[in-house]
Amino acid sequence: MDPSHLILTLLLTATLAPLVSCLVVLFIGKRVMGTASGWFATVVMAVAFGCALWALLAWMGWPAAQRHTIVLAVPWIPLPGSETPWLYLGGMVDSLTVAMMAMVTGVSMLVHLYSIGYMEGDARFERFFAYLSLFTFSMLGIVMSHSLIMLFVFWELVGLTSYLLIGFWFEKRAPQLACRKAFVMNRIGDMGFLIGFGILFWKLGGNVFLPAVAGNGRVSMFEALRQAIEAQGYSINHPPLWLTAAGIGLFFGAVGKSAQFPLHTWLPDAMEGPTPVSSIVHSATMVAAGVYLTARIYPILTPGAHLFVATIGLITLTIAAAMALVMTDIKRVLAYSTLSQLGYMVLGLGAGAWTFALFHLITHAFFKCCLFQCSGSVINASHHEQDMRQYGGLGKKMPITAGAYLVSTLAISGASLPFMGIGLTGGFYSKDGIIAGCYNYGSALAVAGHTLGPIFYWTPLIIAFVTVFYMARSFALTFMGQPRNKHLYEHVHEAPWTMTVPQVALALSAVLAMPMVLPFLHLINGSMPTVSWVQPGQADHMKVAYEHVEKGLLFGVAWIIVLLGGIAMYRPGMKYGHRVATLPGVNVLYTWTHNKFYFDALYDIFIVGCGKALAFIVGTFDKYIVDGLVNLAGLIGKGTGFFIGSFDKLVVDGAVNAAADLTQAGGRTLRLTQPGRVRVYVLLTFATGVVVTLIVVAAAMLR
Amino acid sequence: MTSLLTWMLILPVLGALGCLIAPSKQAARAIALATTIATLVVNIALAVGYAHQGWSGVLDNQPLSWISSINAYYHVGVDGLSLPLTLLTTGLSVLVVIAGWKVDKAAKAYHALYLLLLAGMIGVFIAMDLFLFYVFFEVSLLPMYFLIGIWGGPRKEYAAIKFFLYTLAGSICLLIVMLGIYFYSPAATHGAGNTWDMVTLQSKAVRDLFGRGGKFATFGMWAFWLTLIAFMIKLPGVPFHTWLPDAHVEAPTPISMVLAGVLLKMGGYAIMRITYPFFPDWGQYFWVCVAGLGVAAILYGALCAMAQSDWKKLVAYSSVSHMGYVTLGIAVLTREGFDGAYFQMIAHGITSAMMFFLVGVVYDRAHHREINRLGGLWLKYPGYGGWSLVGFFAGMGLPLLCGFIGEILVLLGTFRAAGNAVLMHGAATHTLLQVQHWSLAFGILAAFAVVLTAGYILWMFQRVYMGPQKPEYAHYEAVSAREYLIMATLGIAAVVFGVAPILVFAVTTPTFNHLAHILGMA
Repeated sequence: MDPSHLILTLLLTATLAPLVSCLVVLFIGKRVMGTASGWFATVVMAVAFGCALWALLAWMGWPAAQRHTIVLAVPWIPLPGSETPWLYLGGMVDSLTVAMMAMVTGVSMLVHLYSIGYMEGDARFERFFAYLSLFTFSMLGIVMSHSLIMLFVFWELVGLTSYLLIGFWFEKRAPQLACRKAFVMNRIGDMGFLIGFGILFWKLGGNVFLPAVAGNGRVSMFEALRQAIEAQGYSINHPPLWLTAAGIGLFFGAVGKSAQFPLHTWLPDAMEGPTPVSSIVHSATMVAAGVYLTARIYPILTPGAHLFVATIGLITLTIAAAMALVMTDIKRVLAYSTLSQLGYMVLGLGAGAWTFALFHLITHAFFKCCLFQCSGSVINASHHEQDMRQYGGLGKKMPITAGAYLVSTLAISGASLPFMGIGLTGGFYSKDGIIAGCYNYGSALAVAGHTLGPIFYWTPLIIAFVTVFYMARSFALTFMGQPRNKHLYEHVHEAPWTMTVPQVALALSAVLAMPMVLPFLHLINGSMPTVSWVQPGQADHMKVAYEHVEKGLLFGVAWIIVLLGGIAMYRPGMKYGHRVATLPGVNVLYTWTHNKFYFDALYDIFIVGCGKALAFIVGTFDKYIVDGLVNLAGLIGKGTGFFIGSFDKLVVDGAVNAAADLTQAGGRTLRLTQPGRVRVYVLLTFATGVVVTLIVVAAAMLR
Repeated sequence: MTSLLTWMLILPVLGALGCLIAPSKQAARAIALATTIATLVVNIALAVGYAHQGWSGVLDNQPLSWISSINAYYHVGVDGLSLPLTLLTTGLSVLVVIAGWKVDKAAKAYHALYLLLLAGMIGVFIAMDLFLFYVFFEVSLLPMYFLIGIWGGPRKEYAAIKFFLYTLAGSICLLIVMLGIYFYSPAATHGAGNTWDMVTLQSKAVRDLFGRGGKFATFGMWAFWLTLIAFMIKLPGVPFHTWLPDAHVEAPTPISMVLAGVLLKMGGYAIMRITYPFFPDWGQYFWVCVAGLGVAAILYGALCAMAQSDWKKLVAYSSVSHMGYVTLGIAVLTREGFDGAYFQMIAHGITSAMMFFLVGVVYDRAHHREINRLGGLWLKYPGYGGWSLVGFFAGMGLPLLCGFIGEILVLLGTFRAAGNAVLMHGAATHTLLQVQHWSLAFGILAAFAVVLTAGYILWMFQRVYMGPQKPEYAHYEAVSAREYLIMATLGIAAVVFGVAPILVFAVTTPTFNHLAHILGMA
C-alpha cells in the first residue's frame, strides 16, 4: 500500500498543531488556562512530535524502490501572465523533510517542557508559549516548503517570531536592540534572497514557482528547478553569470538566517532573549533554516556559487571559534560555538558533503540545545550571573546538569574512541564526514590549479581541535575546580525536573542515537541531489569518509589530549588563561578577538550611522527644498494675486472690478475656518455639493 | 441591478441631508452609521450582481444624456478595476464613522461633510464618463478641504489650503487633457462626434490616434504626462507628495484614515483607468522615467519616514513609500507588476487606515505624537500592542499579511520586465542602457527597500511600544471596545487578504486580461 497519504496527513498535522496551540494560548491562555498554558502547548508539541515520528517510521518502512517525493500544491496567487497559472502554497515530503520534521518537533517539545520550569513566575508566561509555538510552526513550514516562494513566506515568519522571542523582555534596553538587530540583519539577507529570486524569475519565468513534480521518482523541488534551467539550454557546470549570481543571492538569505559572516553579529546578541529561546534558536529553528535552504538550493548552485558558499563557511567557522576562545560569558561561548558549527555545515554544503552537513545539522541541534539548556539551568540557579569567572565547582551542586553538559561537550567535540575509529557520539560522524568532504573539495581545487585549495581541508581540521579546547574551557570553568564566588555558590541548586528531564533526554539522544547513525545517514542520503558538479570523490563520499576515520587514529588520541589540556588549564580559573593572553604578540590577537574583530563597531558606524545620516539628509531636503519649492510657488501665487489685485484696484479701478473681487474671495478663503462662521460655510459647501449631485442624478433620471 | 449604482451615490447624499437636519449630535452619528452600512450593503449586492456576470465585462447603466451640448452622459458602472476599490471605500467608511464617534465639534456638519465626501469618492470609482469622472474628482475635494480645515490640528488652515491648491493644480492638468481628447476624438469615433465615454476612448482607433506615429502623437505624449502628473499628485508620487504629510498630521484621525485609505487610491485607480489605457504607447516609451519615479518614491519615502520624529508623519511618509510600489508596478508593464500594484492599493487601504488609527488611539490620550516621548505602550495596553504588531508588520510587508502580496508581485514584475519584449521595442531607452539593465537596477533598489522599511518600522516600534511605561500613563483611560472593534476588523482584514489574495484577484482577473491586451503587458 502507498503510505504517502498517511505520511502527508501526519506531517501536516504536525505542522499545523503548533499554530492551533499558539492561537488558543494567545486568545484564551491568560484568562482561562493560566499557567496550564505551558502544559497545553507542551502536550500539543508532543502530539506533533508523535505524528512526525510516526511519519518517519512510515517513511522508513516504505520500500525504497517505491518511495517517491510527495507533493501537495494549493493555488495561492494567480499568475496569468506567466508560465504557471498559480503561485502555490503546499508541502513537499522527501527523506530530508521527514528527518527534519522529527528533529524540529522533538527538540521543540523538549524546549517547551524546559520553558515551563524556566519561565515560571514570568508576567507574560502564557504569551511566551504562544510565541514559542508560532516559532516552531514557522520552522516546520520552512521544512515542508515545496517552492522558493513558500519557503520565503515561512522564512519571514521565522524572522517575526524570533523578533518577538528575542525581544520578549522588551522592558529592558538590551533585548530591544537585540531583536531589532536580528530582524534587520535578517532582512539584509532577505534582500539578497529576493534579488536572487528575481533573477531566476526573469530568466525562467513561472517555472521558478513550479513545485516538484509529483510522483517524479526521487526528484525534489530544486532538482525540478535545475531541470527547468537545463531544459532552457543552460548548464550548471558551465553556467552563465546570472545563474551564479542568483545562487549567491539566494544563499545570502541563508547567510542572514544562519548568521554567517558578514551578517553573523546578531546571533551572539540574540541571547538577550530568555535562555529557552537561545536553546531553540541555536538548534532546531532559525539558524537551521539557513542551512536547510542552502541544502535545498544545492542543485542549482554553480561551481562559482559553491566556492562562495564554502569560503563564507570557512571564514565563519574560523573567526567564530577564535571568539569562543576568549569569551567569559557562558552563553556567548555557546553562541560563538554555534556560529562555528554552522560554519562547518555551510562549508560542508559548499564542499559537496551534502549528507554529512545535514547530518551535522541534526546532531548539532540536539547537543547544542542541551548545552544551552544546561547553561540556562546554571544561570537560573546562580541568580542570572552569566560570567564564568564567577562560577567554579558547580558540578558538585548540579550533577545532572554537569553530566548532560559533559556529554554534549563530548558530542560537539566529535569524540571518538582512540585507536578504533569508532565514534562515541553522532557528532563524531557528522563532523568527520564534513572534514572528509572538505578534503575531497580541497584536493579537487588543488588539482584544478588553485594553490589555496588545501586550506579548505586544514582549517576545519585545526578548528576541530579548537572546538574541543574552548568547550573543555567552558566546562572546567563552570563545573570544576573550586567555587570562585562563595556567595553565589551557596545559593546554587539543581534545576527542577521540568528542566533536567529535557537536558538528560537531549544528552542521551546524542549517545543513544549511535546505532541509528548508519540508517539515518542512509535516510538523508536518499534526498541527496543526484547531480552535482563535485564529481570526483562525490559518488563514493561515504567510503572516503570512513577511510578518513581509519586514518584518523591520531585524531582519535589528539582530541583527548586537547580536552584534558583545556581542563587542566582552566580548572583553577582564568589565571593561566590570563597569562597566555598577555604574552607579547598574543595580546594583540586577544584584543582583536575579544572585541569581536570590531564588526559591531564597524557596522554601527558605517551601516547604521550612514543610514541614519542619509535619512536625516533626505528628510531635511524634503522639508526645506522640495516642500520649500511648493511653499515658494504658493507665495509667488499669493504675491502675484496681491500685486494684480492692487494694480487693479488702484489703476484700472472699477473697470475690472470682478478680478479684484476674485482676489478678495481668495483672501476670504483664508479666513474661512474662523470658528463661528463654520456653519455658514459648511452649509454653503454642502449646498453646492448637493446641487451638483442632484443635477447629475436628476438630469439623468429625467431623460 | 444597475439602479444600485445610482443608489450608491444617492444614499450618502440623503444621509448627509439627514445629518444636517438631525435633532441631536447622537442622531447625526446614528444616521451616518446607518447610511454607510446601507451603502456597503448596496455595494455588496452590486458585487453579487457582478459575480453573476462571471466577474467579466462592465456592469453599467444605459448611458443617459446629461449635458447634451457637450455630449456628457450620466454613465456609471463597475468592472474588475473599480469594484474592489468601491468595496474598500464603502467598507472602510463604516469604520471611519465609528472612529469619528467621539468628534464633538459641530458633529452634524462633520458627518454631513463626510458623507458628501463618500459620495464623491464612490463617484470617482464608478464614473464611466470622463466628464462625470472629473466632476466627482472635484466634488471629493471640497468636503476634504473643510474636514481638514475645521476639525484639524494647530496648522489646519495651512494644511487644508495646501491640500486643496495642490490637488487643484493637478485637476487643471487633467482638464487640459480632457479638452484635447474631446476635441480630437471625432477623428476616431467614425462620425459619432465628440465623446467623453471612457470605454470608447480605450478603443484601438483612439489609441492609434494618440499613440506614437499617430495623427495627434505630440498631444498624446503631453496628455500622458499631464494626466500622470495630475494623478501622481493624488497618489502621491515623489516629488509631488509634500501636501500629504501636512494634511495627515493636521487631519483628525478618521479623516487621515479615509485620506490614506481611499483618497490616495483615486490617483492609482485613475492611472490604471485613464493614463495607461488611453496612451499605452507613451507608457511603453517612457517606462524608465515612470518606473524611476516609482523606485524613487519607495526609497525616498522610506528614508524620509526614518527621519521623522512625529509618529503620524512617519506613517504618512510610509504611505509615500508604499504607493511607490503602485507606480513601479504599473510602469514596468508586466502582468505581475500590474496585479501587484492593484493589490498594493487594496492592502495599503487596509494597513494605512489601521496605522493611522493606531496612532490616533495614542494621540487621543497623550495629546502629542513625539516618538521620543512615548515608550512602553505595549506594557500599558497589551491588547492594543498586539494589534499594533499586526498593523505595522502588515505595513512592512510580512508574508501572510496583506502588504506582502503587492510588494512581492511588483518586485517580481520588475525583474520580469528585463525580458519584456514590449519595452525592448517600445521604449526610448535603447540608446542609453538596455531594458534589462534598468529593470535589474530597479529590482535591486526595490529589494533594498525591504531593509529600509524594516528599519524605520522596527525603530519606531521599539521607541513607541517597548521599554518601561512612562509615569504619565497612569491616568490614561483604557482602550475602549469601540477602538478594539476597529483595530480587530482591520487587523483581521489584513490577515484574510494576506492569506487569500484570491479574494481580490478573482474579481480583477478577467478585466485585467483585457487591460493587459490594451497595455501590451508581458
